Amino acid sequence: MLADLIALQQADAAFPSGSFAFSNGVEGLAAADPGFGEAALARSVAAALAFRWAGTDRVALILAHRADGDAGRLAAIDAAVEAASMAEPMRTGSRRNGASLLAAHARLGTPGAADLRRVVREGGLLGHLPTVQGALWRALGLPERSAALVSGYQFASGLTSAAVRLGAVGAIEAQRVLSGALPLIAEHLERPVPEPEDGAIVLTGLTPFIEIAAMRQAQAELRLFAN
Amino acid sequence: MTAHTHSHTHLPAASDPAPVTAARIGIGGPVGSGKTALIERLIPVLQARGIDFAVVTNDLVTKEDAERLRRSGLIDPARVEAVEAGACPHTVIREDPTLNIAAGDDLEARFPGLQLIVFESGGDNLASTFSLDLVDWWIFVIDVAGGDDIPRKRGPGVLRCDLLVVNKTDLAPHVGVDLDGMLAEARRARGEKPVIATNARTGAGVEAVADAIARAVLFAP
Repeated sequence: MLADLIALQQADAAFPSGSFAFSNGVEGLAAADPGFGEAALARSVAAALAFRWAGTDRVALILAHRADGDAGRLAAIDAAVEAASMAEPMRTGSRRNGASLLAAHARLGTPGAADLRRVVREGGLLGHLPTVQGALWRALGLPERSAALVSGYQFASGLTSAAVRLGAVGAIEAQRVLSGALPLIAEHLERPVPEPEDGAIVLTGLTPFIEIAAMRQAQAELRLFAN
Repeated sequence: MTAHTHSHTHLPAASDPAPVTAARIGIGGPVGSGKTALIERLIPVLQARGIDFAVVTNDLVTKEDAERLRRSGLIDPARVEAVEAGACPHTVIREDPTLNIAAGDDLEARFPGLQLIVFESGGDNLASTFSLDLVDWWIFVIDVAGGDDIPRKRGPGVLRCDLLVVNKTDLAPHVGVDLDGMLAEARRARGEKPVIATNARTGAGVEAVADAIARAVLFAP
């Protein structure tokens, strides 16, 4: 029961993590398409879940959770996330978001958070969001499955709430899109996590349209979000 | 993409968060009230007093304020950080200040000995307030041209800030504002809390603002 409540707390948009400032490409998509609305958002969320979250963020988070605080393993996972994030705004965004989440947990006194933050500051870790989430949520006692669930929900709701603040969709439309994403998250959660015997970290993901949109938006004079 | 593990060293056990050393203050207020102009005037005053400081800006739609300060020639550009507000200028200083906290921590790590970090909010409304998780003390800037009824409206920003600055005093006769009446109303609304009138264009009142900062968070007499 307590683990469920902790999961709700971590998934709550009111938990300070800095995530609200990252659209993860939605601002670029909306800027590129004047007709970007509910249908386009739904397609984008589905694509991002299938071709980014499921094979990259989800896998990295689960592996970080399984690392159980092993600094070397976390660094290797982090390096793999870095390598799998070809678009600079997404790569930087993930690191900044991870740093913000760490800042909150360090101040809250979450076990291991201050030390994890020190390792990031000293260059031992890059501090990508899924790596940090996996490590912190394990330390908080969240089971792996719950941690992955929270990650998937936040990934999708972050995209839909950014679209609301951009004025691309209404709050009700956003919830409709999010409702449509929930079965997709559930489906992706059933996918196995590749864990070869040699310890290799296998991350797969390709969302060129979203990433190009994010890279274009990073050059824009006017923008509301960090990516 | 693949990578391999390198070691099996476990992270050390939990310890207390690293202590925050530099004092942190906020400067908030409505769009166009003169927050950036006030900071531009404060920079040389703080420098003349030997205060080691840095600035974090929260621009709403651009990095214009950060770039304005970086290019001003007044301050080392590396001492100016920009944090995006994700369309929510109040969220990044109140409900979720973690990006700002992290930016402040980064500045402290890069500039050991930093005494003061100034967080400039993006332009907002009268309900804008800073979280005390982020800052120790904060200023709310309103301006004469915004109308002399602002203090009477008693917004949370006006009432709860540690220092209320009424800027652009030179414009009062041109916009039909009774400056003395506006200041008196502001003081009535705020009780014991201070109000300072400034003209950031000429620098009038800026020394008094610097005095207030130094007394409040830098232990000046």
